[in-house]
Amino acid sequence: MITLPLEQRLEILADSAKYDVSCSSSGSSRAGKAGTVGSTASSGICHTWTADGRCISLLKILLTNACIYDCAYCLNRRSNDISRAAFTSDEVADLTMNFYRRNYIEGLFLSTGVIRSANYTMEQLIAVARRLREVERFNGYIHLKLVPGADPLLIAQAGRYADRVSINIELPSRQSLALLAPDKPRESVINPMRQVSGLIVEAKEARTKSRRAPRFAPAGQSTQLIVGATPESDRDIITLTEGLYSKLELKRVYYSAYIPGSNDSRLPALPTPPLLREHRLYQADWLLRFYGFSAHELLDEARPNLDMRFDPKSDWALRHLELFPVEVNRVEYEVLLRVPGIGVRSAQRIVQARRGTRLGEVELKKLGVVLKRAKYFLTAGGRYLGGIRLDGPHLMERMLAPTRRPARLDQLELFAVMPDASALTGEL
Amino acid sequence: MTVFRYDGGFEGFLCAVGDCLEAGEKQPEFVRDGDVYSSGLFAGDIHEVTTVRETALMLRKRFVNAVSQEAFATARYAFHSQKAGIELLVWRYLTLGLQVGRRVCLMLTEEPVHSVNLIARHVSHEAHKYKGFVRFREVETGFLYARIEPEADILAFIAPHFVGRVGDRRWMIHDLQRNQAALYDLKSWRLVKNIELTAEPTLSATEHDYAALWQRYFQRHAIAERHNPKLQQKHVPLRYRKHLPEFEPDNDSL
Ligand code: SF4
Repeated sequence: MITLPLEQRLEILADSAKYDVSCSSSGSSRAGKAGTVGSTASSGICHTWTADGRCISLLKILLTNACIYDCAYCLNRRSNDISRAAFTSDEVADLTMNFYRRNYIEGLFLSTGVIRSANYTMEQLIAVARRLREVERFNGYIHLKLVPGADPLLIAQAGRYADRVSINIELPSRQSLALLAPDKPRESVINPMRQVSGLIVEAKEARTKSRRAPRFAPAGQSTQLIVGATPESDRDIITLTEGLYSKLELKRVYYSAYIPGSNDSRLPALPTPPLLREHRLYQADWLLRFYGFSAHELLDEARPNLDMRFDPKSDWALRHLELFPVEVNRVEYEVLLRVPGIGVRSAQRIVQARRGTRLGEVELKKLGVVLKRAKYFLTAGGRYLGGIRLDGPHLMERMLAPTRRPARLDQLELFAVMPDASALTGEL
Repeated sequence: MTVFRYDGGFEGFLCAVGDCLEAGEKQPEFVRDGDVYSSGLFAGDIHEVTTVRETALMLRKRFVNAVSQEAFATARYAFHSQKAGIELLVWRYLTLGLQVGRRVCLMLTEEPVHSVNLIARHVSHEAHKYKGFVRFREVETGFLYARIEPEADILAFIAPHFVGRVGDRRWMIHDLQRNQAALYDLKSWRLVKNIELTAEPTLSATEHDYAALWQRYFQRHAIAERHNPKLQQKHVPLRYRKHLPEFEPDNDSL
């Protein structure tokens, strides 16, 4: 496998890694040190964007795409007839250092197929990270994948070198996992997540007592869910996500629209990947993390799936018209955040500016608040900004009115592929 | 009306503002050295500003005490936009701050605060983008060399970032628009003005290989089923691509 020339192996191993959608280099803030290479920026930095509009921040590759497992949804599954390749740890270190020095990347995101055993594979990943940190004195970002079923001792070791670790849940329910990834019991994924969550808390506490205490994955852990390969509802997904954020304190949950790539009868035959659904899930995820919403407010038994026509906040507001309009000069920040079209940044500016001036429509525009949707839910100085008061059905119609561009394109442009920085500024 | 002629830099500008305050000038005009100043008949007195670092630092201290560190940073970012008339705008912002103090931060919808904030955001956004878009090429001697053509004068905002990042090599980030460069000599960085390269730098033996590997990686990384060049162009407008090796057409010569 190592006999192919480096450039071909890079192609194969980048190809196999690209469906892991996490690209973020955020969450760690470490200044550069004399004599070493590298620093990390807490907001993350994008270095370029590929032809699908996704940001490249890290060199995202697999150590090898050979795998002893046979997960139905995965390109690298044992039974798939594709070319296999592997890097040596020297090669990965060399590519990382040379790409990094040229400022192509923020660091490395290393994942892999499973070879020989979970522990052996995990050891290979750790060896690369150790080499980068200890031999190359690399101080930039490292994201390491945890191998399901790896020994807790190895997982503890991985977090010493990595800024972020992740293990993908992939499928939202136990049944789906058992059906499509029979080699990976749910425990082999959830247990390491629990362990990591505990170690992160411990390391943070230790560091408040002593600056010399070792770090453990200071940028936290993340995971990924495949959307559309199995029958779970959006409610199942968002409820799972909420639990991951609140109980295991994950930094991010990523969603990856299932891209049909196999004739396996256990998998659905989709004409195109469900990109809009993926986008709506990201929006709902945002509402959980930054807008104070909880999962049951967005979805319930009667409405288990997100409305594809509206963003989930507009959808929520349309179902709660009795709470609106609210007075932009008075209403609490938390309520402002619930107004459709008002993002975190706009809400912050409004709160700051209204301490100095009374806000009307002109002032709101000057603050950069986009009123297109928000106006139906606001009064300014007692004046309703939406024109005539509309009842629910009419308002819904108005908000669905075609914009200049076809709706789907609009939504995709909003697609959240920015690093976490945009999470703070991402307007909903 | 007095015309204050300063050296074009931020320190020089602060000194100009200082002189202006001292003279009690209410309607100053600012010109840069080398700008052709031709208001002709109605031209006022010309005052030549001497740049003294201490004077600039003192003004900064005064403003930071009166308003805030953040407001000063805003003024600094806005100034570096180098937009026509920016001096007057920032001068109004600074004097307003000295008059009303912290209240400036609440006057978000009023002038000049609104415009200064807007411009500052634009510049800081561009500086952030360039932290990602700078591309170093390795020159024969191990030196790293990058070219940029930003809209605003952002070198001062990005250089410290690269000091922390590529601290083990000498490097130069060359702003072709302004014929100036940030130069790092393994200890600290400094701004060098009026530079012109007499010859193309000779690249190291492996430079092409890494650039080509990077380009392959970049091309392979796009997912065909999600193809969306419009979104790509929104994030990487064409004008940035000139200096990004991943967008170069002919790198694939391995
Ligand atoms: S273990 Fe990982 S790499 Fe191997 S088939 Fe399953 S998902 Fe793919």
